[in-house]
Amino acid sequence: MFRKLIPILFVVFAFSACSTDQKTKNELTYWSSNNMQEITFTRYFVKKWNDNHTNKIKFQPIPEGQSSEEVLMAAVVGKTTPDIYANMWQGLVEMYAKSGVLVQLDTIKGFVDFIKKRSGEKVLKEITSTDGHIYQIPWKINPIMSVYNKKEMDKIGLQTAPKTYEAFLKAGKMFSKDTNNDGYIDQWIGNTSIKNIWYQRLFDFYSLYLAASNGGHLIENNKPVFNNKYALEVLTFLQQLYKKQYFAKENNATGSDKFLGGQYATKWTGPWDISYTNKFKPKGFEFGYSPIPVPNSHQGPVYTYADPKNIVIFNTCKNPLKAWAFIKTLISEKGDLKLLSLTEQLPRRQKMEASILFQDYFKTHPKIVPFIKQSNYVYGTDNCELMIEVLSIISDEYEASVVYNKKTPKAALDAAEKAINILLGNFKTTN
Amino acid sequence: MTKRKFKIGPYLLVSPYVLFFLIFVAFPVLFSFYLTFHKWNVISPMEYSGLYNYEKMLHDRLFYKSLINTLYFLAIHIPLQLVFSLGIAVLLNTKIKFSSFFRAAFFLPFIVSGVVVTIMWQQLYGFNSGLINRLLTDIGLDRIGWLTTEKMSMPSIAIMATWKNVGLYIVLFLVGLQTIPKYYYEVADLEGATDWQKFKYITLPALNPTIFMVVIFSTIGGFSLFIEPYVMTGGGPLNSSLSSVLYIYKQAFDFYHMGYAATLGFTFAIFILLVIVLQKRFLEKNY
Repeated sequence: MFRKLIPILFVVFAFSACSTDQKTKNELTYWSSNNMQEITFTRYFVKKWNDNHTNKIKFQPIPEGQSSEEVLMAAVVGKTTPDIYANMWQGLVEMYAKSGVLVQLDTIKGFVDFIKKRSGEKVLKEITSTDGHIYQIPWKINPIMSVYNKKEMDKIGLQTAPKTYEAFLKAGKMFSKDTNNDGYIDQWIGNTSIKNIWYQRLFDFYSLYLAASNGGHLIENNKPVFNNKYALEVLTFLQQLYKKQYFAKENNATGSDKFLGGQYATKWTGPWDISYTNKFKPKGFEFGYSPIPVPNSHQGPVYTYADPKNIVIFNTCKNPLKAWAFIKTLISEKGDLKLLSLTEQLPRRQKMEASILFQDYFKTHPKIVPFIKQSNYVYGTDNCELMIEVLSIISDEYEASVVYNKKTPKAALDAAEKAINILLGNFKTTN
Repeated sequence: MTKRKFKIGPYLLVSPYVLFFLIFVAFPVLFSFYLTFHKWNVISPMEYSGLYNYEKMLHDRLFYKSLINTLYFLAIHIPLQLVFSLGIAVLLNTKIKFSSFFRAAFFLPFIVSGVVVTIMWQQLYGFNSGLINRLLTDIGLDRIGWLTTEKMSMPSIAIMATWKNVGLYIVLFLVGLQTIPKYYYEVADLEGATDWQKFKYITLPALNPTIFMVVIFSTIGGFSLFIEPYVMTGGGPLNSSLSSVLYIYKQAFDFYHMGYAATLGFTFAIFILLVIVLQKRFLEKNY
């Protein structure tokens, strides 16, 4: 425990010691994530800005730490936060907002109109905090979809990944088999992580829940609202996949990539998968993307999890207007195209498929088009300060019911609802 | 009575360590104790909560579960560690060919990063594609859910931890073995003692201080079990491999309940102290 706190304290001291000297007057600091593509993207815009403005932007990737959250927290404690941080997971913003360390962006003139025009009214509502203010700039998303092996789908008479639960289970029955007759299944319709870690549930249970419920919520007005027929259908479907051995009960990390090896016919993934699959696919391997499965009776578009990463301005910023002026260049239409082309991550911009500016890119990168279409039907996370813990509770129950079949889906949902009510302070009991 | 003259020199000499101790040991310990009476998520101001964290801990099912899991791990890990390290050390202490190579080979896993070892074993333990299960299938046995069944997750982690750490204890036992005077064995040979009798009545009693040290080190090392379940299982399946340190980590760095994590940490530290004291008394009394 103490050992764990020491690095935080060390980072705090280190930042405290060096920050004041480094930052010159009127200079804004910008931290990006530390992946190469985003560094290239940010460098491009920072250089462009600095060439044309006297008030410079000082850019650096987020300092190394065990996680970006840990580094940010250390910076908050040491009051050495950057002026702008790009790449904050939407589910964390509420906690920072409640701590009073973020700038209320809706108070900046023209902010709301800009975001409304770029991302739409729905996104504006989604990012509005429980206190009615906005603390984040919706920046980029990675919608979760099904990737499928075209040849394997063809063998079982499908053109894309199965679109409904019934079709998925049917495909599972046809595809999952013991090919070498050793008594064990060695080919599965799909796979998702079986590790009980909160963020894994964003890519299976939560994505499917959003799809089934047309973008429904987990938490509303500080109360869990997911104990409904949609969540029940999702858990029942997933439980069936494991029970019937259509999904492999194994961690993804073991062995080689079974999707590329043909042992998995589908998986749920984001646009980051395109360049990975193109790079490592065996010769002749063909793949495509389609929306994740929904209940048989589903009506309307298929929603999914957006995996949103947003931009925030910390209240240590002496000139939030200047910061916003710079951020506007990043999230302009041209900035968004640059983001897409350099990072293969989608800007949170509405109606991209209709934009003339993006057409050339789509023609040369056809695999991104399904994700672009999907980006009109995505949702991030609810504004709940304890979102990680909420997801962790759901993950506990998911593991018990879906993976290990120790509970019925209904019992799992009831237990999760009760535990989350206790967590959110809606019950007085502690057990 | 002569008046002692105050000398600054000795104080200056010890001051680097004192400063280090105050900043990196005393302050964190006292600060953590202070935290146990507060709610704190790092970025918001601390909120005094009295004994709330202690009350919460007493009702926390996972706290007890993680303690039991850790003790279960120790119950498997310590005997395995003792038997293997002592057995291999005795073998390496005899005149065998390439003994230096074997000593280095057994020590190698100890110096390899814990994460690397864990990832490697995760590949070995895979249910469908793991090497161990493939070997089992090849010889006609059933596959085992090493990391995917409640029953096997902790024993699997204990086997891996033993494999990783056994090299260090082999070295300790080798040092112990080489301090036993040769003439003890020569006298035993003259008396017609068998190898087992020599081991039981000479080697084992002479190695008592080393055995004691290995048990204490293994206990302390075992209590800090973290990387293995964190990387391999995330504490699952169904919290069967959730160790106390992993649980404290989750509370602190997943959920940002620093006050509660500090409470768990303090309680756990006291628990370790009690176990070590009991172990010490038992071992000193019996050996």
